[in-house]
Amino acid sequence: MEPISIAMIADFFHPDVGGVEGHIYMLSANLIRMGHKVIVITHSRPPDRVGIRWLLPGLKVYYLPFVTIASGATLPNFFTFLPYLRTILIREHVHLIHAHASLSSLGHEGILHSHLMGVRTVFTDHSLFGFEDAASILTNKLLAGTLRNVDAVICVSHTGRENTVLRGELFEQSEDDPPRLVVSSNVYVIPNALVSKRFQPGLLQKSDTITIVVLSRLAYRKGIDLLVATAPRICAAFPNIRFLVGGDGPKLIDLLQMREKYLLQDRIELLGPIKHNDVRSVFIRGSIYMNTSLTESFGIAILEAACAGLYVVSTRVGGVPEILPEDMISFADPNEDDVFRAVSEAISLVSAGKHDPIKAHERVKRFYDWTQVAERTERVYHTVMKSEQRDLWDRITRTMRLGRYAGPIYSIILLVDCLFFLFLEWWMPREDMDFVTHHWNHRRFASATRGL
Amino acid sequence: MSTKIPPWEKVLWKNQPYPDNYIPEGALESSLRKNPNFKPYTYWPLVHLSIAITQHLATIFIFLSVFVRLKDRSLDPRVLISVSLGCFFVGYFVWEVLQYTQRSGGGSKHGSKRNERVKTLKSSILIFLALMSLSPVLRTLSAATSSDSIWALSACLFLLNILLADYGSSSSVAQVRPERLTSVLSMNAAISSSVVLASRLSSDLAVFALIQFSVQSFTLFPMLRRRLQVPMQALLTFALSISSLILAAPLSSTIAFLFLLVLLAITFLAPAVLVWAQKYKNEIRGPWDVAVPKVN
Repeated sequence: MEPISIAMIADFFHPDVGGVEGHIYMLSANLIRMGHKVIVITHSRPPDRVGIRWLLPGLKVYYLPFVTIASGATLPNFFTFLPYLRTILIREHVHLIHAHASLSSLGHEGILHSHLMGVRTVFTDHSLFGFEDAASILTNKLLAGTLRNVDAVICVSHTGRENTVLRGELFEQSEDDPPRLVVSSNVYVIPNALVSKRFQPGLLQKSDTITIVVLSRLAYRKGIDLLVATAPRICAAFPNIRFLVGGDGPKLIDLLQMREKYLLQDRIELLGPIKHNDVRSVFIRGSIYMNTSLTESFGIAILEAACAGLYVVSTRVGGVPEILPEDMISFADPNEDDVFRAVSEAISLVSAGKHDPIKAHERVKRFYDWTQVAERTERVYHTVMKSEQRDLWDRITRTMRLGRYAGPIYSIILLVDCLFFLFLEWWMPREDMDFVTHHWNHRRFASATRGL
Repeated sequence: MSTKIPPWEKVLWKNQPYPDNYIPEGALESSLRKNPNFKPYTYWPLVHLSIAITQHLATIFIFLSVFVRLKDRSLDPRVLISVSLGCFFVGYFVWEVLQYTQRSGGGSKHGSKRNERVKTLKSSILIFLALMSLSPVLRTLSAATSSDSIWALSACLFLLNILLADYGSSSSVAQVRPERLTSVLSMNAAISSSVVLASRLSSDLAVFALIQFSVQSFTLFPMLRRRLQVPMQALLTFALSISSLILAAPLSSTIAFLFLLVLLAITFLAPAVLVWAQKYKNEIRGPWDVAVPKVN
């Protein structure tokens, strides 16, 4: 595929740390290595992270002045991003934008505005959402409005795809009887990946104690209640077990209280918040990784643990059943007794020596690789670039079909957006812009990125 | 002989010979479950449940009619006081009967029952005397406010009372349910509304009569109402609605007609609308839902 210019748009990027941020960075780095040009557009973190920065390996990041309201997300709006986006996309000769995360309003706006400049759009959804509470109903309606005219949607797991299709109404009702749901053909599943070199297993040590590692944000969503309920039972039933709990959050108090109540200070060690660079050193201290979360779209932490050679015990929720083969993971239903059963099974497996960390590492290395993910994503881009862009009338008719009230509202937004764009074309004409030209040789950058 | 393509599996770690946008037929429908907890509403049980709301509304209408008559001085406050005292004794008698009949075997001891009666007598005398001494103060409390604001304020407060009231029923014995915040708020709203209205009256005795009547109707009567059983509920609703209409009719036939409309709509029309709206119920459950952890 010939090289194209790609703009990644998301609220969540460096210097914030998280799954989405890492995904965007690694995907961009691999796309640059394959010869494309990638820029990232995100909001600024005043006072230090403002303006335009460069990250290795030749990734230009635009930090735009938008105010954040909660946990790194900006306020949803429809028009204030257009002047910035128009200028950036025209200057950088961008062919395609890739928006990430449903909670990122910059991404949604990017998809709304890009068609005015002839730029194609791809959207990646990283998380699972419900349908019932008031916040979900509103965000799903916003998502349906945005995804009505997007060119391709990528989800990180099959469960995530089903969830996104239902939330964003990416299906049509077929005419057979009974009417079936036919999913649009532009919804893809491309999983996340991890850098396996950073999660090498440690040296094999023969010892009697088996350490169970738990590493997560200590919040309700991560199922810490299950951990608090089962840890005393496990410690009582298996005298050679030790727990290693890393991370911080509101449920730390519950863990501390449980530890006090059952006098397990020497069996449960609490490490506090762990930086991402130190995660591997915590992993190699254990042989079993326990994940009790109540909802998980992909579960990258589980993969990192499996890559470091740990045997995994996890609750069967969300996309977790899809990520590892049955012999590397034990599943449990989200209730205390089943978690206990699964952990006992894991302990007996590991004590019998039936789990080989080196082999596990090699397998995970082959399963999830950033080069593969970047290639699959590049194929999606290729399909999108080959297809024809929808014209304005087509967009308006599709938007009107959203609903009796939502349809006209979104169509009005679309039309006002077009008018605003025409105004900007007159006020800030293209001829007066500074265009960006590359003088570098990409092969030199490719050799610089070979270390990643 | 062509090589068979292995069937598609819902896993991410395998390199499958299918394109990334492949989704087998029926995969989406098999993951989701539509309306799994759906218990459809039926009309007549809903009507029975809405009787509590009708009773509450009827009580409010009666109160308003009494207030208008007191203001016009067509009702002697002394009559009102004696009527409400009579109602109080009748109500207390009914409560005692209910407690006796609904008591589970081996109930409270005789001594504690007498203790309770003494406490009840003490608190009722206390409230009676407190209201009597506070009524001159309450009469001039909002005397400076103009009448229009008073009507608006009172209407808002009664609306708040209707919206937040506790319409449940519990026929089990000696169950002291902790009061929820909303039911306490609704009671406070009703009492505030009657205090605000009382300032429009002309004599201290009238104020005392009104406040005492309101305390009885909005705090004590709901407690009694919750304990009554179903056949009595229907009879009581009917009696209250008829009395509210009778009291309102001489004052203004339009208002009485409106009262009748509202009562009929709440009792018969609203459940019908709810049953009709069931067809729009669209609950989707699937593997993406947040699991509920079950700990022993």
